[in-house]
Amino acid sequence: MTFVKLLGPALLGLSYLMAYPAHAMMEHEGMMMDDKGMIMHANHDTLPRDCQKLAGDVDITIRAGHEHAQKFPGKMYAFDQQEWDVAPCSRINITFINDDDIRHQLMIHGLPGYIYPQGMFHLELYGKGELKASLIMPAQIKTYLVHCELAQHMEKGMKAQLKVGGGDGDLSSIPGISAPVHADAYQINWNNMTWIAITLAFAIGGVLPFWLSKLKAKG
Amino acid sequence: MPKKNLAILSILLLALIMVTIKFAPDLILTPAITAPATIRTLIKGENSGIEKPCLNEHPEWREAQEIDGVKIEASPLCEPDNPYDVAASVRGTNQISMQTLMQTHLSEDALVMGEDLDHDGDPDIIHIKLEIVELNGSSPDGNYLVNTYDIAPGVQPGLWVFAPKSSGMALKNFNSLVANPLLRAPSPVIRVEQGDKVYITLENTHYLPHTIHLHGVDHPWRTAAGEDNDGMEEHAVFPGRSHTYEIQPRHAGTMLYHCHVQTAQHFMMGLHGMFIVEENRPNNWVQTFNIGAGQVRHPSVAVKETYQQEYDLFYQSIDKRLSQIIQTNIDPRLIAKNMARDYNMTESHENYFLLNGHSFPYTLRDGLIAVNENERIKLRIANVQRSPIALHFHGHKATLTDNDGVSLPEALQTIRDVFDIAPAQRLDLSLQTINDGLHSYSPGLWMFHDHVPTGTTTDGMEPGGNMAILAYRSLLDEQGMPTLHDQLLAQVFDKNYYAKIRPVWEGSNYAVQLGDAGLLQPHLLRIMVFALLVGLSLGLLIFIVLFIKRGRA
Repeated sequence: MTFVKLLGPALLGLSYLMAYPAHAMMEHEGMMMDDKGMIMHANHDTLPRDCQKLAGDVDITIRAGHEHAQKFPGKMYAFDQQEWDVAPCSRINITFINDDDIRHQLMIHGLPGYIYPQGMFHLELYGKGELKASLIMPAQIKTYLVHCELAQHMEKGMKAQLKVGGGDGDLSSIPGISAPVHADAYQINWNNMTWIAITLAFAIGGVLPFWLSKLKAKG
Repeated sequence: MPKKNLAILSILLLALIMVTIKFAPDLILTPAITAPATIRTLIKGENSGIEKPCLNEHPEWREAQEIDGVKIEASPLCEPDNPYDVAASVRGTNQISMQTLMQTHLSEDALVMGEDLDHDGDPDIIHIKLEIVELNGSSPDGNYLVNTYDIAPGVQPGLWVFAPKSSGMALKNFNSLVANPLLRAPSPVIRVEQGDKVYITLENTHYLPHTIHLHGVDHPWRTAAGEDNDGMEEHAVFPGRSHTYEIQPRHAGTMLYHCHVQTAQHFMMGLHGMFIVEENRPNNWVQTFNIGAGQVRHPSVAVKETYQQEYDLFYQSIDKRLSQIIQTNIDPRLIAKNMARDYNMTESHENYFLLNGHSFPYTLRDGLIAVNENERIKLRIANVQRSPIALHFHGHKATLTDNDGVSLPEALQTIRDVFDIAPAQRLDLSLQTINDGLHSYSPGLWMFHDHVPTGTTTDGMEPGGNMAILAYRSLLDEQGMPTLHDQLLAQVFDKNYYAKIRPVWEGSNYAVQLGDAGLLQPHLLRIMVFALLVGLSLGLLIFIVLFIKRGRA
């Protein structure tokens, strides 16, 4: 894909600040877009302040689509992987592939704002396709949220986590990894085995005192 | 103890029980002389639910302006349509400057305008892309709603809408749960020109299957490639997939589009919008999307020949219990089962009534019809409620010009003050602000609303529903809010009012006489005597039981 329109950041930034301050995410340099998608806040070269030097390159391919959610009951959209773990100060070269005929995003949150405005790295594909972009992670041991921000896509499974140096724990409701904070309620499978187990336990409970007293009498 | 004592005790117990019953406290008391005083229901954080009637976020959007060569009419309302959305809707997202596109949330391929086939100065090949968005849905990450959209203060029913294909975040900003302004009810009004080759692509970003059915719009049953073009249930577009419908409408008029999968439910969830075919004229750039309906800030050439202004009015209703299904479940399988099988649509009720996606008082922000004297205004009206509406204008009689997108001969163009509109019907009206005692009685801030009594309620609270105002511009303040209504505005721009916590007339001089009645104090002595007797009876009963047992032993 070719990104033909690179925004003139200074001119745009000024005009947007005057006309439309709420739309801060449109005003920064490093945003490229065309009719296939966009890349925001990619960073191939700038080292985070807490890094002495680049630890190395990590190439990651991330696929997005409804088919990747089939292995997670109750989900509709997902990435093909739900977790990545990289060394501090790694440069991650992402190949983002959209397998669906609709829009998907790959957003990473909580990055240092002095490199990534609003702490955000954002890839978006307007349909089936592929794009590549890089970012450099700080040295801090941390778990970053990776998700698609279309309405209900994260809620329906398109959520993952990027750990640096093992991360600082798991985020909630990552498919196959962590529990939701607010869970659905499902019917319980009361079958014959359950009833037999209950009846048996009930009978044992009833007999137990008599058996114990007998035992005591003998002793 | 002898049996005689046992008998005496038993008789005593019986008597005791009878006396206890006599002393039983009443559940409701009648006061002796003076009724309980009026109480204030909210004391702590009392005014936390009150909001400013007009947030006045974009005063610069109100004036008439020209963006990328597109002339945009003035809109004096509190919340005027984003003029950059209008410019993009007229020129196409492929033909506006990047600066303009950045002021919208539209993607670059949302509206692609193509060739001028007949060389009459306007594009004739139009590609429109729509997505499906859930508003006020649930989240596994906490007990809150996401992509919220308030139809009235504090009122957030679960909704589905078609939305022009957008780019970037669905939320308003990074730290918010509020949906961005492009994602709102109703689904956008779509306008095309008669004879245009129009390709409408549904990109199903939702988690259930949907379609687009072009109700009343001239469309072939199949596409050129022989695929489905009628959007029926059996040709559903599943999540993550897309389908393109093709039309070249020969007939102009006010029509509809809607999802035709599980139609009763999906219709009531909000998957419907107006589809308008404008008459063919040279150099006729129509405003393809009217986000949120209401005033058309760039009317077509044909409309401008006869009218000074044009408004799209979209009447929609919501079933509270149906819309709660997406708020109490997250798993798509549970939602599908709940909607299709557990919930019986024949037992459905309408609880919320919306005009252009809002219920009163939010209709005052963006649902007003703002007029001058001696104007002729075209109103395109659609009813997608499950019940008919009886639309009434105070102070005016309008003229019916079109039924379901078909113009009436002049002799049949009736003048009325109540128009009945069956579900899915459309009316075009000509509203004239000529102060002649028939068309208009005088300038004013005249209500207009569905005259079916429930139409002006919000989950039973009045005033609410689709109530709005036909406002003469001289009576609007500089923020587009109706003057002379301050007390009413203070009362209704309060979520505690629609949460049914505040009494209706609490803000008036009659607050003491029409507020909430307080509670009566219970008769403490009587209650204590009652409790004493209950205790005594129980004690006596146990005593007798033990006594009998000991006697046997």
